[in-house]
Amino acid sequence: MAVANLTRRRSALFDHPLPWLLPLIAILALLAIFPLFYSIWLSFYEWSTFNRQLEFVGWRNWATLFDDDRLSASLIVTFSYFAIALSFELVLGMGLALLLDADHRGFGFLRGALTLTLVIPPAVAGMMFLLMEDAEFGVITYVLQTIGLIDRGTPILATPSLALAGVLLVEIWQWTPFMVLIFMAGLRSLPTEPFEAALIDGASWWMTFRRITLPMMGKVIAIAVLIRGIDLFRVFDYVFVMTSGGPGTRTFSLSLYAWQQTFSFVKWGYGATLSLVTLAIVLVIANLFIWLTKVRW
Amino acid sequence: MKDQQRKEYLASITDRYVRRKIGRRSFLKSASQLGLGLGALGMGMTRPFLPTAQAAGNLVPSDEVMAWVRDVSKPFAGTTLRLATESTPPSNAINSQLKPFFEEASGMKVEIEVLPLEQVLQKLTLDIASQLGTFDLYYIDQSWAAAVSRDVFDPREQLAEKPDLAMPDYNIDDFLPALVDGIVKYEGRWVGVPYDIPIFIMMYRRDIWEKFGFDAPTELEQYYQQAKAVTDEMGPDLFGSTGQMRSGHYSLETDWTAWLWGHGGSIFGSDRKFSGNDDAGLAAMEYWTRLWKTMPPGVTGWTWDGQGQSIAQGVAASMLSWGEFFPFFDDPKASKVSGLMEAVRVPAPKSPLRTVNETGFGEIPGIGHQGGSSLAVSRNSKSPDAAWIFMQWATSMDTQVLITTLGGGTGPTRFSVYDDPRVLANNRVGPGTTRHLPIVRATIAEDMGSEPDLPQWAELSSDTIPVRLGKYFAGDYESAKEAMDDIAEAVDRIVG
Repeated sequence: MAVANLTRRRSALFDHPLPWLLPLIAILALLAIFPLFYSIWLSFYEWSTFNRQLEFVGWRNWATLFDDDRLSASLIVTFSYFAIALSFELVLGMGLALLLDADHRGFGFLRGALTLTLVIPPAVAGMMFLLMEDAEFGVITYVLQTIGLIDRGTPILATPSLALAGVLLVEIWQWTPFMVLIFMAGLRSLPTEPFEAALIDGASWWMTFRRITLPMMGKVIAIAVLIRGIDLFRVFDYVFVMTSGGPGTRTFSLSLYAWQQTFSFVKWGYGATLSLVTLAIVLVIANLFIWLTKVRW
Repeated sequence: MKDQQRKEYLASITDRYVRRKIGRRSFLKSASQLGLGLGALGMGMTRPFLPTAQAAGNLVPSDEVMAWVRDVSKPFAGTTLRLATESTPPSNAINSQLKPFFEEASGMKVEIEVLPLEQVLQKLTLDIASQLGTFDLYYIDQSWAAAVSRDVFDPREQLAEKPDLAMPDYNIDDFLPALVDGIVKYEGRWVGVPYDIPIFIMMYRRDIWEKFGFDAPTELEQYYQQAKAVTDEMGPDLFGSTGQMRSGHYSLETDWTAWLWGHGGSIFGSDRKFSGNDDAGLAAMEYWTRLWKTMPPGVTGWTWDGQGQSIAQGVAASMLSWGEFFPFFDDPKASKVSGLMEAVRVPAPKSPLRTVNETGFGEIPGIGHQGGSSLAVSRNSKSPDAAWIFMQWATSMDTQVLITTLGGGTGPTRFSVYDDPRVLANNRVGPGTTRHLPIVRATIAEDMGSEPDLPQWAELSSDTIPVRLGKYFAGDYESAKEAMDDIAEAVDRIVG
C-alpha cells in the first residue's frame, strides 16, 4: 500500500511540468529576469565619483531622458540605420536567394562562400571597411570616384551626408548573406505542386513570385526580419570602430551612447536607464511586428 | 657562463630575433639553454617587436638594479601583478622586451594588457568603482589624474613609509619638474610618477621645405603660409600639413588646445568658466579652419594613427604633433620618409600665452601640448608592495634608458636619461632614433602646455568638446562662434 502511494506520488511529480521546466526557469531567472530587475533598480541610482558609492536619485535619470539632445540624435540615427539596413538586406537577401535557388554546377560553392562574411568578427569587418573607405588610399573611395559618385579625396566616414551610408555598407555586406541563407532554406522547403500548377496555368514569373512564393515564405521572412531587426537596433561595433559616432553625432547609435555613459563616464544609473529604453523600444516593435505578421511560435 | 655574459648573450639573441635573423624556434631554444624557461616563452609568444634601436651600448638591465629586484622581491615571489595600459613605447618595450628580466629576478609574474586609450579608461574606472583590485598598477593619462587621485598611492609617501622597499638611487627628484607639475600633481599630491611624455613638437619634410626655400617655421602664421604653399603647389599628391581630427575622439581636442593656447586663449578662465569662445578662442578657430584646408581630405576621419601614417606614407609634409612619431618616421621599413624629417621647437604663439593664474583648474597654456601619463600603484591592489617594487623598476633611470633605446626613441621623463651615453648613441637616422630628443627636452622646458585638472575632464576632453568640434568641421554649425558657444554651454553645465 505504502509502495503504491509512493509510486503514485512520484508519478504525479514527474507528470507535472514544473520539474522539467526548473532548469530553464533557473537560467532565465539568472540571465534575464535578475539583470532586468537589477537594471530597473539601478536606474533609480547613480554612481557618485566623489563618495565612491551608488546614491539614490529617484526619477532623475528618467527625467533626464526628456531633456537629452544626444538621446534624440542617437534615436534618429538608430531608427534610420535600422530601417535602411533592414530594407536593403531584405530585398538583396531575397534576390540573391532566388538567384542561388538552383542546383546548377558551382551553385553549392557559391552558397558556401556566402557564409564566409558571417564568420568575420564585426569589429574586424569594421576595420577592413575603415581602410577601404579611406579618403587617400581606400579602394571603395577610389571606385566611387572613378564612376563619378564622389569627388576626389572625399572622406566618406567624415562627411556628414555620407558617414551613415559608409557604416551601412559594411553592415549590408556582412549580414545580407544571413538573410540569403534563411530565405534559401525557406525556398527549398516549399512544396513544388503550386509552382507546377502556376506553370501549367501560364502564370508569369512575377505573378508566381507575388502570389505563391511570397505568401508561402511569409513566416520565414517574418522570422528573418525579427532576428535581424533586433540585432540592427543594437548596432555598436561598426560605429565604434569606424566613426566613434561622428562626424558630430551623425552615426552615434543608442547602444554606443548607453555604453559610453555606462563604461566611459561611469554613469551606471543613466546607462541602465538608456538600456531599458532600448529594451522597451525593441519589445514594442518586435511584438507589434509579431502581431501584425501573425507569427506563431 | 657568468651572469653578465649570459645577459649579453640573451640581448644578442633577442636582437637577432627582433631583426628576424633567427626564427622563434631558434630563439626559444637558445633562451632555454640559458635557463630562461617560461619567461622567454612568454616573450616569444607576445606580439611582434617594435622598431628597435641600434645602440652601441649594452642594452640589458644593470646588475645593481636587478640585484636589488632579486633581493627585495623575495617575499613576493609567485605574486602576479596586472596592469592595463595604452599601446605606448614604454609599455610596449616593457611588455615585449624588458618584462622577462624583471620576472626572472623577482619571481613575480607581470601581466600587461595593451589596449586602446578609451578601453584603458574603461578598465580603470570599473576597477575603481568596483574596488576589486583587478589591476595592481594604473596607467593614468594626464587627463584622468584628478579623477583617480584618491585611488592611488602618492609615490613620495611610499618612499618615506617603506624605506626597506625603496630602490637605492631611485631619485624621485630626477623627474622633469615640468612633467611633475603637468602630469602627476593634483591638489598637492602626486598621482604616480611621470611614465610617458608624448608632446607636440614641429616636424617637417626637410626636402620639401628646401625645395620651396623655406626656413623651419618659427611663427604660426608663417607655418600656415608654408603649409598652404605646399598644398597649392603639390596637392593633392602632397599636402602641406596634417592633423588628428576625428570627430568625438580625444585627439581632436588635443589639436584644438594647441591652436587655442597658441592664440593666447585658454580652455577655462580664472572664473572656472569655459573661455574657448572668447576673442582669442575664435581667432584660434579661424586659424585652424584655414590650416585645415591645407591638410589631406581624410584628416577629419583620422586619430593620431592616421596622422602619423599620412606623414610616413608621404601624403603630408609637416605636422605639429606627438614627438614620439619621429623615430617611426626614421624607420625605412615602416616609412617612406626615413631621414627626411626634421624636428624643431613649436612655432611661437601669435599672442602672449595666458598665465596659469589667468586660467582655471591648473591649466598651463603652451603650444607643446603634452599628453603624458603616469604610473601609480592602486589603493585597491591586493599586493601594493610588490606593485611598488615593479613600479620603481619600471620608472627607474636604468629601465628608462632601455625603454628609450629599445622602445623606439620615446621621450624620457627623467633628466638623467637624456644625457645617458646609450641614449646619445642612437642620435642618428634609423629606427629608434633619439635625434629628436633635444627638441623634446627643450619643448618640455619651454613650450609645454597642460590640460586642466578636474574630475570631469575625461568626459569633457573625450566627448563634450571633440563631438562638438567634429560637428563644426562637419558643417553642422553656422559659425565657429556658434560652435564655441554650444561647447561653452555644455562644458559649464557639466562642470557646474
